[in-house]
Amino acid sequence: MTTDNSGSKVWKAVRGFFAFWKDFLVGDSPVLALGVVIILCVAYILRGSAVWAPTAAVILVLVLIAFTVWQKTWTRRCAS
Amino acid sequence: MIDQSTVLLFITVAIASAVEATEALTILLASGITRGWRSTFEGALLALACLAVVVLAIGTALIQYVPLYILRTVVGTLLLIFGLQWLTKAILRQTGFKAAHDEHDIYDKEVAALSKEQQGIRGQRDSLAFAVSFKGVLLEGMEVVMIVISFGLATQSGNQLVTASLGALLGVGVMVAIAAAVAGPLTKVPENYMKLGVGCLLTVFGLFWMGEGVGVEWPLDDVFILVLLAIIVLATVGLIAYFGRVHERRLEVAAH
Repeated sequence: MTTDNSGSKVWKAVRGFFAFWKDFLVGDSPVLALGVVIILCVAYILRGSAVWAPTAAVILVLVLIAFTVWQKTWTRRCAS
Repeated sequence: MIDQSTVLLFITVAIASAVEATEALTILLASGITRGWRSTFEGALLALACLAVVVLAIGTALIQYVPLYILRTVVGTLLLIFGLQWLTKAILRQTGFKAAHDEHDIYDKEVAALSKEQQGIRGQRDSLAFAVSFKGVLLEGMEVVMIVISFGLATQSGNQLVTASLGALLGVGVMVAIAAAVAGPLTKVPENYMKLGVGCLLTVFGLFWMGEGVGVEWPLDDVFILVLLAIIVLATVGLIAYFGRVHERRLEVAAH
């Protein structure tokens, strides 16, 4: 019984730890986290080009901001 | 000689800390006024000590054992995610699609919740006040810790942990002084404008360092941080103007 209890406590603590980091990094915007990972990959692939790598990174960030705000305005009612 | 990125780093950490301190102070005020100040201070001080240990332990370990390009990639990615979260939420609040952060409302709710619980015995530690202030300061402070460590480690000039920590202390110190002066929740602090500003700065630094980490060659080197900042600020202003009009139109349609 003691082992079961300590086992469930450890499992609860592990789940709590990952839930904390998921909430910290992803929060209520999984699109943002996914978008940043995509931008990271694109920047890595284009890193050899002095023109395309910075240009693509900046444009993708702007698109991600606009898309996230647009998406939230469709899923939310007006606050006021 | 202090370079521009160090100044921007200091300002960013100071404002980010001030925003988080505003939210933590609301919880501390509610706890202190309803349950007593001794246990509230003890909980807050223990949380601050824990946060300082995290900065020193993780910060020192990372700078010694992890190569700079990996640090910049990881730190830049984290900062970009944080920055975009802050920025998009601030844009939604500014345009009316998300309710503004109301410190007075949060304060009232905290006071009501804490008043319901039975008071502790006078002279003994109030475990509820201790736990509430400890948790409040630790959770609000954790984001600042991440920002301090990130900014402290990823700069061009190497270890800036002390500069970032001083920026955080200044931000918290200013808010504590204001809270002590007004002796109430910090309702007059322009929290959303501060979040907009910090969101822009975190996004810019995050993108810059993430790019440097994976090998992107930014034109003009460090000066490009200012160019990026101008681009992000202009885009933010444009989005606020556009979605602000969308919000107004929806309100008009709803009214008819």
